[in-house]
Amino acid sequence: MDKLPNLIHRLSQDPFNYLLNFDVAQKYLELNQTASAVSFYLRCAEYGENVVGAKRYVYSSLLAIAKCFDTQKGRELSVSNTLLQAIAYDDSRPEAYFMLSNYYERASQWQECYTFAVLGLGWSYEQEEQLVDIGYDGEYCLRFEKAVSAYWIGRKDESLELFKQLSTESILPHYANAVKYNLEKLNAGI
Amino acid sequence: MKAINSGGVLAPLVIPEGLTSGTGLMNPSIFIDDDGDILVNLRHVNYTLVHSEAGQKFPSRWGPLTYLHPEKDQRLVTENYLCRLNQDLEMTDFARVEMLDLHKPIWEFHGLEDCRLVRWEGALYLIGVRRDTTDNGQGRMEYSNVVLDKNKWTVKEVGRKRIPAPAPDDSYCEKNWYPVLDKPFTFIKWSCPTEVIFHDPNELDNPNNETIQLALRACEMPQKDQRGSSQLIRWGNMYIAITHEVDLFKNYLGQKDAIYRHRLVIWDTEYNLAGMSKPFSFLDGNIEFCVGAAKQGDDLLLSFGFQDNAAFVLRVPKPIVEELILEALEG
Repeated sequence: MDKLPNLIHRLSQDPFNYLLNFDVAQKYLELNQTASAVSFYLRCAEYGENVVGAKRYVYSSLLAIAKCFDTQKGRELSVSNTLLQAIAYDDSRPEAYFMLSNYYERASQWQECYTFAVLGLGWSYEQEEQLVDIGYDGEYCLRFEKAVSAYWIGRKDESLELFKQLSTESILPHYANAVKYNLEKLNAGI
Repeated sequence: MKAINSGGVLAPLVIPEGLTSGTGLMNPSIFIDDDGDILVNLRHVNYTLVHSEAGQKFPSRWGPLTYLHPEKDQRLVTENYLCRLNQDLEMTDFARVEMLDLHKPIWEFHGLEDCRLVRWEGALYLIGVRRDTTDNGQGRMEYSNVVLDKNKWTVKEVGRKRIPAPAPDDSYCEKNWYPVLDKPFTFIKWSCPTEVIFHDPNELDNPNNETIQLALRACEMPQKDQRGSSQLIRWGNMYIAITHEVDLFKNYLGQKDAIYRHRLVIWDTEYNLAGMSKPFSFLDGNIEFCVGAAKQGDDLLLSFGFQDNAAFVLRVPKPIVEELILEALEG
């Protein structure tokens, strides 16, 4: 990707181009300039919303905006609002469900965490390269959220079964470690 | 953008996130120092502005135009960074302005906002509006006298002076005065009629702490009120400045929204308004704000904020400036 000044230069020639706005936003995000990134992701979403072929970019921009607010901290209602917008825009993709489920996990809102994990698992998804890294590595991430939250809403056996299944799969190391830890706790009867 | 097509440069201004937490960097004010250094005051805020444009399908939950401060912290906090740019308009130095601790802020807007950078009689000033000294947010322009150590690149406020409005000084909020760069302590307060005021911050020279009206010039009223943005700078035998105009409105839910546009406005040396260009924007955003103008060589440098979240400097080549001036003079 071009450097930021080059991208800005190009954007000045074509300011409503959703792709250029997305690229500028990505570059600001790389620099951890989350406010600047929000501006240009939002322009990508608003100006790409009706454009054929732009759906992935619009959806990814909404996820990225939520990620930016999450990074800034203290803007929880804006995080959840943006993810709900993403689901309303494309309810057939798993990533926003995952982010919301994960968001509620961190807030210890277990029923919400469980529900959004289940909603996200209710679709059969085509594996699609992600435009923005939001920590979603595949369908198992939703099953992990479901496993964690199930325990806290009185579904201990379901939680145990889900973790057992996850322990047999090839998953990212930090997930594998968390699965192992939770299984040890559950098997110890805690 | 016409300026870019004619050889201009548009440069983003970014300070490392570790210093600013990633929230808005905005409303830069550019100034060419006596030694030729390109200085910029860059405002950093603790919020992220969300402005939903186009079909407004993705507004915040509070509406299309929202200042997203931390949800449990209502304050809108401003800090300032003084930066130096090289000839390619790349940032080479930056430092947070260390402000004097003179009082505890008692309103939600903290800090000196939208500072214009000037050097008058050898002293470097940030001149902006402060609204945190009263419990109702009354705004007054303030001189913040800063000392910049260009070797260590540190910036410290060494003096502060709150500027009363001209008598009777009973207005709620004074802001966006245009400093007249080549006339120390002189401002245009209103564009039309053009009100020129003077306030000397030195107590010995101004023992009664007065702000004096130097001139009030009638002019043909523009369709929309032209408000202060950049400093007023000399351009040949005239003064030019960038002004802004705002459409403030509400959507059907009663939620606020706004569109900002800018113009190049010309005054003669007696402060008679001589013309204004058509409205323009920089990046076709609806919230943009130009706080700085400087002449460098033949070119005009303009600094502006985009949606309160990003900051840029635009080098406008002389022919484009002259085109705008002609457009303004021809009305």
